Amino acid sequence: MNPTRTSAMDRAGRWLVLGLLVAYTFYNVGPIVWLVLSSLKSRMDLFTMPPKIFFTPDLTGYQSVFGVGVAKDSAAAIGVFDSLINSIVVSVSGTALAVFFGTLAGYVCSRFNFIGKGDFMFFVLSTRMLPPVAVLVFYHLMFARLGLADTRFGLVLVSIFANVGLATWIMKGFFDGVPKEVEQIAVVNGYTRMYAFLRLVLPMVKGGIAATAGFCFIFAWNEFAFSSILTTTQAKTLPVKISAAAGSTGIEWTQICAAGVVLIVPVLIFFYLIRRHLLMGMTFGVLGRR
Amino acid sequence: MTAISHERRQAELRKRSSGRLMIFGFLSPTLAILLFMVAYPIFSLVYYSFFNFSALRQGAMKPMGLKNYKFLLSDPELWERFVFTGKFVFICVALQMLIGIFVGYQLHKNFRGRDLVFTLLMMPMMLSPIVVGFLWRYMLNSEWGIVNFLLHSVGLPKVDWLGQTNAALWAAAAADTWMWTPFIVLLATAAFRGIPETIHEAAEVDGASPAYKFFRITLPMSAPVLFIALILRLIDSFKQYDLFVALTGGGPGSSTETVSFSVAKTAFSYFYTGEASALAVILLVIIIGLSMILVRHLQKMSERY
Repeated sequence: MNPTRTSAMDRAGRWLVLGLLVAYTFYNVGPIVWLVLSSLKSRMDLFTMPPKIFFTPDLTGYQSVFGVGVAKDSAAAIGVFDSLINSIVVSVSGTALAVFFGTLAGYVCSRFNFIGKGDFMFFVLSTRMLPPVAVLVFYHLMFARLGLADTRFGLVLVSIFANVGLATWIMKGFFDGVPKEVEQIAVVNGYTRMYAFLRLVLPMVKGGIAATAGFCFIFAWNEFAFSSILTTTQAKTLPVKISAAAGSTGIEWTQICAAGVVLIVPVLIFFYLIRRHLLMGMTFGVLGRR
Repeated sequence: MTAISHERRQAELRKRSSGRLMIFGFLSPTLAILLFMVAYPIFSLVYYSFFNFSALRQGAMKPMGLKNYKFLLSDPELWERFVFTGKFVFICVALQMLIGIFVGYQLHKNFRGRDLVFTLLMMPMMLSPIVVGFLWRYMLNSEWGIVNFLLHSVGLPKVDWLGQTNAALWAAAAADTWMWTPFIVLLATAAFRGIPETIHEAAEVDGASPAYKFFRITLPMSAPVLFIALILRLIDSFKQYDLFVALTGGGPGSSTETVSFSVAKTAFSYFYTGEASALAVILLVIIIGLSMILVRHLQKMSERY
């Protein structure tokens, strides 16, 4: 093949790749930009054709999410701020407990051999795969019987169960990255295993614990299926509240978009903080160990 | 002599029993919560699936044997749900793998601002699926949605995206693909970066073409990681529920109901708890089967790395 033809084909190929990347970027980023723009539009500007790119920003959507200003008393705003508080309480306490239990279990799975370890690990991970609606058929009954329906405590319980498996696997991955010699040397020098765990190993996986917490928080924060079926009025979380508001009074698009932006902000921050561990979290601690 | 060995044995025993105590103490909270929140509900589901039972009238439980299952498996509507779910899963997974591998390959080399680009790229994945559903429903509105406006402005006809079964299937697939392609990009990039540079250099020296390098070296060597991504997406899109609640509400009619959606509707709108339990059991069997493949593979990977 003559060299000029190859380079022409190369150039065409490069332009094609560039074109596809630009198209993907547009597909990827466009809806996010549109979400943010729409969250700042007044109801008038929302439905204009052609859609407005430039407009006077209107904070009604955000006001109704935070329960302040003029929009505070609108029908759609009632209880939305409370649901934001519910979301924070449930996901923070659920995350803390799931990470606590998951760290303990992950350590044992990394360091010890015990009967049924493989089955235990499968069982633990399979909880992450469970279709929420399947167990919900029974939760619905169980929560009513135990008085857990529509309580934050009930949702915290669900959030622990939904994340503890993930936390166990990720933490096992981080513990696997710590050499076993650490405990061996400690035990030879007369320290207990517990001491070695608490004082030597745990400080070495601090970053891992933070990353695990980041992951669990993101899942708990965005969770919808469990919260929507198990709450009725009091304990609704923000994702549930906005979908309920959409059903009853015609869809408040500005409010939904504003709530979407409010929901993504903490996740964005966590994502950036744990970016080095993303792979670890996404593959249950199997890959990307450092 | 015997005294020393006796002492050593004692120490050994103490160490072993402290290990046992640690195993037990550290595992029991996780095990307890999972038994209570997973094992107990699943056993109860199986139990209820043999009854004609409604959550509304809990006194009246009539044993049905396998009738719930027989009814479900011979119900043409349920097969429609499975066919719809299958189509949705196939389109989503195929699109996400193709686009994800392509974009991941373009981004796997180091460049300035890589962390920032990746954080921005991951944004769709950070949204709650319910928000994703509403956002796409908003953009796909047939009259004032931005998508139809863009189609119209380049001379294409407007589409009633959420009003027709087939269009709604593609709309849902577009939303799911938008949300989860970044996940494949992330894993694919990591897999490509994990291939030793020397292998590429060797291929270069041998005069391999870029296409040959990609299909014969890069892709096979990253297959184990891509397999994890594939199975995870398979499981997650198979049980997709939230997205459809917000995007289509199962409509038009009930033509975009996934199997999960159908379980929820049977249990919480019609309150046919027994039938819903049987359907949930069928769903669980499929998901557990897929999970077993995944976990086997993960454990193998875990030993290798």
